Amino acid sequence: MKKTVEIPLGSQHISLLEPIRFRFHCENEVIRDVDADVGFVHRGVEEACASRFEFKQVGYVVARVCGLCAITHSLGYTLAVEKLLHVETSMRIKYLRMLMVELDRIHSHMLCLAHTAENAGFEALFMQIMNERELVMDVQEALSGNRVQFDYISIGGVNRDLSAQAGALVLRNLSLLEPKIDELFERFTSNWSLSLKYRGIGALSLTQAYMYNTLGPLARAAGLETDVRLETNDFPYAQIGFEIITEQGGDIYARNLVRLREIKQSIKMVRHIIEGLPEGAIQEKTKGKPEGEAIVRIEAPRGELMYLVRGNKSSILERVRIKTPTFSGIPAMIEIFKGSNFADAPAILASFDPCMSCTAK
Amino acid sequence: MNKITVNLENVVETIKAFYNPAAHHFLTLNALNAPDDSIELEWIFTRYGVIDEPTVFTLTCKRDVLIPSVTSFIPSAIMSERETVDMFGVSIEGAKRGLYLDEDSREMPLGRCRV
Amino acid sequence: MLNALIQALKNLISPPVTLQYPLAEDITLPAQYRGLIEYSAEDCIFCDKCEHACPPRAIIFFQEANGDKVYRYNPHLCIYCGECVRACPKPQEALWQSEKKQPFALRAENVNSEWKVWEERCSESRDAFAAAKKAKKAAKAQSDGQGEMQ
Repeated sequence: MKKTVEIPLGSQHISLLEPIRFRFHCENEVIRDVDADVGFVHRGVEEACASRFEFKQVGYVVARVCGLCAITHSLGYTLAVEKLLHVETSMRIKYLRMLMVELDRIHSHMLCLAHTAENAGFEALFMQIMNERELVMDVQEALSGNRVQFDYISIGGVNRDLSAQAGALVLRNLSLLEPKIDELFERFTSNWSLSLKYRGIGALSLTQAYMYNTLGPLARAAGLETDVRLETNDFPYAQIGFEIITEQGGDIYARNLVRLREIKQSIKMVRHIIEGLPEGAIQEKTKGKPEGEAIVRIEAPRGELMYLVRGNKSSILERVRIKTPTFSGIPAMIEIFKGSNFADAPAILASFDPCMSCTAK
Repeated sequence: MNKITVNLENVVETIKAFYNPAAHHFLTLNALNAPDDSIELEWIFTRYGVIDEPTVFTLTCKRDVLIPSVTSFIPSAIMSERETVDMFGVSIEGAKRGLYLDEDSREMPLGRCRV
Repeated sequence: MLNALIQALKNLISPPVTLQYPLAEDITLPAQYRGLIEYSAEDCIFCDKCEHACPPRAIIFFQEANGDKVYRYNPHLCIYCGECVRACPKPQEALWQSEKKQPFALRAENVNSEWKVWEERCSESRDAFAAAKKAKKAAKAQSDGQGEMQ
């Protein structure tokens, strides 16, 4: 006789932001095996990039892969094309790009914390964090002219300069945000009822982290020291005070802590960027067509994002390969689910910060 | 990037000899269309915690051969192997079709040879 | 535990963190909001650069038989990236990005199918113009050749 009961979660479910379907094989309350179907929102972006659009337009196409990390997608693609065109960007461009990526990381981590709280049953905390997240969204809107689709980065530079007022607004909003993050830190570490839902649940050991090639906050919460900001030299992260953040344990609690500490660090880094912003042009001259192959890695809020671009001296690229963080994180997610309680599944899922539109592209 | 050319017979052994789970990070498996109805596969690796150029194992083979899988020692490779099967219409050991595509989807959307 | 109790007591007397939805006031757009693309036919030199730069092809020129071109823009297809303005040789004069909010697409306006018809008509007009030009050139070359022969 079959011992397990099959319980589906998704593709439409109250705890899901985007369509994904899990089929949990449960023995009583405990999940024994998981099937995942992740391809619900496949839109064929890779094909469109290599057939319909010219290489100058593709930056705006790949930004539409994901709404939340639009800036890292366009940055990854732009860096790859700049490598093929042999463009060296000025320090000011690099600083402005880092500024947007770090702001993006702050609001993306806040969204994840909010959803982890919501899926664990803390609706009011969700509302509160989302309200505080608006401070960062306002800054991004002021800098780029739009709330979600920033279209800030173009090949050879950035589309807008940082004015003095915008710089002041960034600093003002961040100083408003910082005490609120401290308050959240306090709440996530010392609140007893939150710890019931988070401590020791959905744990990933360091061995498993190595074995399943985990990345981003998921790996750093398990103690695996990997961060693309440390592993590439496309951006001067050491200059603005970047240090890797790791936690031990690999449970939801550790993942929340990694995210909270990274928000605090990003706030610090944004301040350093605004204070030490070098002078220079915001757009470099580009000419020619991309030729050759380039691999670029960017630390997106959810982990490592990879772009592989190959061009053959025509305006249509030969191949654009997008490897998104959630895509490579799914085998580890499935592993974490095994052995957990079914009731914890929504909270565990939210703590991965999965992005299905990135995964299926 | 350091490119290492492999062939169908030694691809799994070469990668297995190279790959150290505690030091190497498997980025992805990438496929490209090559001339003469061939396909070029690239297994891309980087290292944890150090600034390093990616190491790329490239294999060029005919589209209709069975490509060996690396999932026995890199379990997370299953995602990119299944994606390659869907997108390029190749066959990889143990990788099912249908990660992104449905029953009635167009066959191998990226597999057209434009070279 | 004690902290939580103290926090709970504090929450009892502090005002709520949520706000009323601002129904009464209009939402103000920030300065330098990326709004509608605006165009002036008098200043345009019809170089078609904006049309080539536009990622979603929201700007299309119709080719008249007498050589004139007509600009048309689809605000519902536009992604407001501003590439056209950066490609324009006369930015702020011929083409510029305003801070106006984009309009809603109403069903009665039939924006999608109408635009598809327009796209088709434009490409037909281009082909017809190119063919006419070619025929004219060929006729001219022929008459020139005849002239030489005579």
